[in-house]
Amino acid sequence: MEKYMQPDKRMTARQAIGNFVNDGDSFVFANCLYCMPLALTHEIIRQGKKNLMVFQQGGIEEIDQLLETGAIDRLVIAYNFRIGGKRVTTPLDRALKEGRVAIEEMTNHTLLSMMKAGAMGYPFIPVLAGTAVTDVVKRRGFLGDQRFAEIVDPFSGHPVLVVKGYTPDVAIIHVQRADKLGNAQLWGAMINSKWAALAAKKVIVSAEKIVDSDVIKSAPHLTIVPAHKVCAVVECPWGAHPSEVAGHYDYDMLFRVLFFASNGSPEGFKAWLDEWVYGVADRQEYIQHYVQQFGKDTLETLQAKPFPSVPADYGFSFKPAWDANEYSQQLDMNMDQYIQLLQDRGELIDG
Amino acid sequence: MAKYTLSELIISRAAKEIEDGQMVVIGQGIAMAAGVLAKNTHAPNIVILTEAGMLGFEPFKVPLHIADPSCTRGFTYSCDMVDIFSTILNRGYVDVSFLGVGQIDRYGNMNSSYIGNPDNFEFRMTGAGGAPEFVGYSHKTVLTMLGGEFVEKLDYFTSPGYLDGGNSRYEAGMPADSGPRILISTQGTFKFDKKTKEIYLAGLHPGVSLDEVKSTVPWDLKIAQKLEPTLPPAADELDILRQFSPEISMGRKLQVEAVVNRVFRIIEKNKNRQQKSG
Repeated sequence: MEKYMQPDKRMTARQAIGNFVNDGDSFVFANCLYCMPLALTHEIIRQGKKNLMVFQQGGIEEIDQLLETGAIDRLVIAYNFRIGGKRVTTPLDRALKEGRVAIEEMTNHTLLSMMKAGAMGYPFIPVLAGTAVTDVVKRRGFLGDQRFAEIVDPFSGHPVLVVKGYTPDVAIIHVQRADKLGNAQLWGAMINSKWAALAAKKVIVSAEKIVDSDVIKSAPHLTIVPAHKVCAVVECPWGAHPSEVAGHYDYDMLFRVLFFASNGSPEGFKAWLDEWVYGVADRQEYIQHYVQQFGKDTLETLQAKPFPSVPADYGFSFKPAWDANEYSQQLDMNMDQYIQLLQDRGELIDG
Repeated sequence: MAKYTLSELIISRAAKEIEDGQMVVIGQGIAMAAGVLAKNTHAPNIVILTEAGMLGFEPFKVPLHIADPSCTRGFTYSCDMVDIFSTILNRGYVDVSFLGVGQIDRYGNMNSSYIGNPDNFEFRMTGAGGAPEFVGYSHKTVLTMLGGEFVEKLDYFTSPGYLDGGNSRYEAGMPADSGPRILISTQGTFKFDKKTKEIYLAGLHPGVSLDEVKSTVPWDLKIAQKLEPTLPPAADELDILRQFSPEISMGRKLQVEAVVNRVFRIIEKNKNRQQKSG
């Protein structure tokens, strides 16, 4: 498995998507509903990526956006938010009816379990067997029989439902902070993030803030993706707007309603995309456009107030092996005595 | 008596299904409002969790979705979704979960995926989400139905109720005593026969007639010997609900209308401001 060991992986969203997402790739969203990597999603759309296969637990707006722009042709999903009654057609409705996307229906638990098995390098993993009676398991989509199977528990002899592990080509994730190596820290709703990111062969991280590695080291329990999985780090304030990010901003109901009001027709959707995706170069321009349209005061109503976590204290005595006088408490000798000991016992080899 | 909305009646009735000291899985909308109402009235020691991995949170407003921590000042346990389904649900810790109904059959099996043939559907709903496992493994599931329908045969079988009735659910491997217990619709309440597991009408909401309910059910609906009328929400319940979740009390249609009007006012205000400064 390729490791990403470069000491500095900072780049723009354009570079990250351009370098690491290829037409035909499978990719997984490593956020769901919360802290969505929407700046990266919009960059995928702007670059006109094609024939992507996507894993997502629950779509809120990103799946509709990728479908309407023709970026994805295969979708593995458990839930896609919709608003409006039967008269409203969503981009997912249209794409399915027109045969532009093949769908594989999963449940939240079974889809994320596919990622968890993949992340752990296991061929399959047991899931809650009660769903075996449902159409989610019985009907087959484009993955055919490469999804569920029933096996026998070797210990009890009872039947067990299992799902196959998957390792998508790339994950995209938005987090609160990361260092330039890519150690990415997320908190709030953890939902699918860990398993989706670790399942992928490589991870593109966008972060509200790039921080010094010392910040990461003071709270390693918050690191959700370790640097060796990460191929690119993008600093991107407001990168999850209009979703919510703890410590940064609330969800933006106004913006969401505007979006959902526009997605009922291809024309309405195109106008929305022209304004908010194709009409801006990057997230910075998107936010500038937001301020222009709705005013700085509207944006500021979303700003988070502080509710800081009480820091975990990672302190110890921090005594080095040798103190300032070159004395070791553990060995009860100083450096000269130590060298003398090695010499006397014949442990030192002539160089 | 205080005036109330239909949403408030349903929330108030749903809240009564929660007992103090229970672990309650809550999605969005009606269910979340019911959980918070219960916690603020008769069940202060419940633990509220969502499948997004937030456990022990105390929402001061309605979350937008299952993964929305902006509605609470912290929570007590942060885990992921597989943890919720395995270490919490599969180990039998979930007492009550709530589920909105798209289609339901006479044994409480449900569809939240497609209306019409899935390969050539009329309407696609949200999909399964966490519903199949929560209905499958929670001790008790409370169903609410606002826009859904009773059908002889589901167009798509998303979530297991009592399968073919009788013991079939438990023979298929779901935990003993688990299953949907009550359906609260816009017209009344429905429960499941202890033995046959067939759904029956248990009570009517104020002002609803038996014939109105029967006309929505495509089979000969069984009726309880004694119907329990749904009690209107008490004044203190309405206070709590309107403080906590005015959006849910008013219903989605009016909520969207209010937000859209706000959008127009903001755009207008900003245009004026730009004209003045330009």
